[in-house]
Order: sequence, then C-alpha cells, then structure tokens
Amino acid sequence: MPDLSTTLAGLKLANPTLTASGTCGYAFEYADFMDLSKLGAFVTKSITREERPGNQPARIVEVRAGMLNAIGLANVGLDRFLVEKVPDLAKMPCPVIVNVAGHSFDDYIETCGAMNGLECVAAVELNVSCPNVEDGLTFGTQPGLLKELTRQVKNVLPRKKLIVKLSPNVQDITLTARAAVEGGADILSLVNTFTAMAVDIWKKKPRLANVTGGLSGPAIKPIALHLVSRVYRSVAKPAGVPIIGMGGIQYWQDAVEFILAGATAVGIGTALFVDPNTPLAICEGLVQYMQKMKVERVGDLIGALQLPGDQPPPATSHP
Amino acid sequence: MTSLYTPDSPPLASPPPRGRFIATVAASDAICHEHFRLTLRLPSFPPTFPGQFIQVACQSLDLDYTPEHQFDWTTAAPTSLGGRELISPLALLRRPLSLAGRRDLPDSSVELDIIHRVVGVGTAWLSRLARDDRVHILGPLGNHFQLPPPETPAILVAGGVGIAPMLYLASTLPGRAIFFAGAITRDLLPLNNIAELAQYNIPSVLSTDDGSYAFHGPVTQALEQYLTRYLTPAVIYTCGPEPMMKRVAQIALDRNLPCQISVERSMACGMGTCQSCVIRVRKPDPAKPPLAGKDWSYKLACADGPVFSAADLLW
Repeated sequence: MPDLSTTLAGLKLANPTLTASGTCGYAFEYADFMDLSKLGAFVTKSITREERPGNQPARIVEVRAGMLNAIGLANVGLDRFLVEKVPDLAKMPCPVIVNVAGHSFDDYIETCGAMNGLECVAAVELNVSCPNVEDGLTFGTQPGLLKELTRQVKNVLPRKKLIVKLSPNVQDITLTARAAVEGGADILSLVNTFTAMAVDIWKKKPRLANVTGGLSGPAIKPIALHLVSRVYRSVAKPAGVPIIGMGGIQYWQDAVEFILAGATAVGIGTALFVDPNTPLAICEGLVQYMQKMKVERVGDLIGALQLPGDQPPPATSHP
Repeated sequence: MTSLYTPDSPPLASPPPRGRFIATVAASDAICHEHFRLTLRLPSFPPTFPGQFIQVACQSLDLDYTPEHQFDWTTAAPTSLGGRELISPLALLRRPLSLAGRRDLPDSSVELDIIHRVVGVGTAWLSRLARDDRVHILGPLGNHFQLPPPETPAILVAGGVGIAPMLYLASTLPGRAIFFAGAITRDLLPLNNIAELAQYNIPSVLSTDDGSYAFHGPVTQALEQYLTRYLTPAVIYTCGPEPMMKRVAQIALDRNLPCQISVERSMACGMGTCQSCVIRVRKPDPAKPPLAGKDWSYKLACADGPVFSAADLLW
C-alpha cells in the first residue's frame, strides 16, 4: 500500500493535502461536508491583530475557470480568535496551521507571538500579500522588507514552524523566495492569488467594489505550476526548504503535477467550493497513481520532473 | 505578551444537520418561459424549512479529468476532447437555489424541488438535465422563515424567480395565507404552479407589469391596494428582485407590519466560511462586537440569512 505520509520541515502529515487559507473558515465549519480527519493539515483563515469587517460587497466574481475575490481579510481579530476559535482548533483531528496577516511589523509580531504559546498550532503561515501601512509597499513584493519581516517573526516563533506564503504578483518570485529563506522561513507556500479584474460592460464599472481582486481556480494552475517549479529548482531545493504548492488544484492529476514540479505538499482552496471532498479524492487518486507507477512513498515523487539537461534519474526510480 | 485564551470558553453552537449529497433527477420541467422546476430525489435528506437553500453543482462532478487524452491524435481516430474546459465554459462555483418544495415519500426517500431561470452557463446546464442524471448538492443551508403566530395570516409576495421559496412556504401554511405573484409579462408567470396553491386553500393574486395577464402593474401595487382595503394584522414574506423587496419592506413599514425578506447574494462556499455574501444589518447594541462602536455589522446571507427581518436590513 503506497505511503502518503510526508514531512514538512519536521512537521509530520498523514498525507500531502492541505486546505488553503480563506476557503474553509477557522475550524469545524466544513465538518458536515468533508472528513477533516483525512486532511494532511488544515490552514485557517488569515487573522489580523485587529478585527476587520472586510471590503464592501461585491466581494467575489466568478470568471471563466476561476473566481476573483476581494474579501478584504475579514476576520474576528486576534483577541476574539483566541477566545472563540482556539478552543475549537484544539479539538481538530488534523494538524492546524494558523495563517497570519498584518499591516505593520508590530501587527505581525504581536499576532505571531501569540501563536507561539498555543499547543494546538503546528505552524504559522505568513500572509505577506498585504500593504505595509507605513510606506504602502506590499511586504511580499519587496525582497528586503520580506527578509526583515521573516527574520523578526521567526524570532517570536521559536516553538513553531514558519511558512511564508509567496505572492505571485512580482517580477521575479525567486528573489522573494530567496529573501524568505534567508530570513529563516522553514517552509515556503506558493502561490497566493493573482491580482485581476472583471468589468460590467453595461454599468461600465468594475464588478468588484474593490476594483481588483485575487484570481484563483483552474485558470491559474499552469502559471502556479511553473512558479513552483522555478522556485523549487533555483531556491528551495538547494536550500533544503520544502514547498507547499497551490493554485488551481482540483484533481489528483493536478496534485501529481505540482509534486513532480517540486512541491512536498499541495494546497486546495477554490476547489473546496466546487467539491468539499476534493482533498480526499486527491489522496485516492494519488494512491492509484503510485500503485500504477510502483512508487512506494509520495516523497519519491517530489521534484521528479525531468527537464531537458537534467541528469537522468537513477535506475531504481524507473516505473 | 498577554493571552486572552481562557479554557472555559463556551463551545460554539453546532449548526443543524446538513451534508454533501448526490441526488438523481426525478423530473425537470419547463414551467414558463426560461423557468424550470427541477425535482431531485435522494434516499434521505435532513429536515428542511421554507427559506433554506441548497448549493447545486452545475457541472458533472463525476467526470474524471484526463489530460492525457487531450493530445491524442492519429489520422485514423479523431482527438478525444477529454479536457472539458477546452470545449465550453463550465460553471465553476455551485449555484445557491432556494428550496421550492419538499416531499417525504413512503419509502423514506425525499424529493426536493428547485425552480430556476436560465440566465447563464450553470442554469443552462441544469435545464439540460434528464431523468436519473446525478446532481451534487450541499445542504440544507441557511436559516428559514419564521411562521406567523397561530391566528395571524401570512401575506406572501413573490416576484419573478423569487417565487421558489414562496411556494415552499405556502405549502406549510394551508388556509392561512394569501399569495401575490408578479412578473414582467404573462409568459414569465408559472401559472400552473400558482394554481396548485388551491390545494392548500390559499388564494392568489396575479399581476403582470405589462398587463398581459390579470392585474396590470407591479405586484407591489397589487399588494398596496389590497392592504389599503383589507388592512389586518399579518406577517409579510417576500422574495424577488431587490427593488421589489425594498418596496414591499417600505409598504410593510408604513403599516407597521412585520416583514421577512429572503435575500440573494453571490456566494462561493454557501456555508459561512468564505465571507463573500455579506449584507449590512443594524446592530441592536453598537458597543458590542463585531465592529464594536459601529451601529451596523456585516452578516452572511448564506449562514445568518437568507431570511432577514426587513427592519434590520441596511440595504
């Protein structure tokens, strides 16, 4: 029986599927629709220091093979999270990763610092696709800023693994990937959503109140896949930092593509809206693939993609 | 570093039973121009109440994606276009559709009705379903209408495809309601479905904006004329285009009648997690969270609604 278990920088997962932040709430919201105990790990909605109401509606638009979202990081804030959500997280039947967003260094440090003492939190994922209110620059697009933020956050999280979730809205994602790694990230996750737009031609206005939103879903899969491959080869593999790959994953074949490209685990977001059973279906498909390809451990597939110019793989891993 | 985590925090109340189901099509009938009633059968389904909805996948979730077939080409055999996204646009997200009826059959199976209008890719897929086709649904979702007190009649006001939850509600109020249904023109009124209300001893008033059938004018005008003549304690329930519902809410407010609204908002998850379907409501106590200090807050149409009291909405 193929072994789906995997390890992310020491964090043991029963299988390589994770939920993507923002698509499944804080804890048990999806319990009626999927078996949470079968997840590799659960990633919460982004929490910020202060409660945020979120953007004015309309917050979402469906587009061809995808959707735009401009939720605006609506969340209960750190204080209410600790009182209202943490008790539920403590009962989750799978490892829990808390996603943290912020608008200043202090925001991130205070919120992440509060996570360090929580037994039920296995790791913190840093959402850096937010503007720094001090200078308006998005943390995740400025390598220098990102490296310093990662370093300061890592300082207040001695007991937890730190995941940095990379924004794809950059000229060269390998620069921000390298900055996160140099800042001390234990794990990289990529990609977050792509900035995009939709227009109502009759009103001659954007369909989102926020004008722009993040594009997710099957439409972004080919781009996300390429970025995972690039980051794996130029930064993550040499540094020994594992990747959580995500972007439009809907079927088990998509998950295999990402793992071959270099992902140790895969995130499933928009596909949960389509079918909450997606992570389980992906695990079932993975097992069948591994049986067919005579692969014993899913770890054997990580980065096994062969590009022209690569050394041929050793004889033992031939199917 | 301070921690506000206290081990004695009360657990959050669990929502009523609901789940992920695969239904089969029992019937799909055109009921008037562009409108279909789709009847789904399931071996069982949790209890449901008028006002609730289901999230319906408007694509087949049973087909496997087989990218390796996309590029098979030989002169002897044509390419199999397995990658369906290449052929035509698919409705990605589920569509939230109010329950238009529910029947529990003698063999414990359940039939659910939904009524939809073909307005795009998803509803077009639904309209092409045939008997025994499989449909993936999540539900039941949302809150539900509160029935009126025992001696108080209900006034149901339906506009366009908003008739769906109104028909389900009517079926639970035999002999206790009057039903107003309006549409732009005769062809957009599901006349047979409205006529079926007679079995519940519920009279109906029909109106068309263009006068092609029955009362000539918006349904809100018919409602107003009725209330002017027969004002009586009643609870008003409405579902339809938002401008119509706002007018109904105002009519109710002017006469000091309680009014329950079923709103519609764009949804992704449909069950309270993605935070997409927000609507502004008045907060009874501005000092309390959420948004302490503000006299309004956002509620979710899918979880706190879709039924709201008209007096609470800031729309």
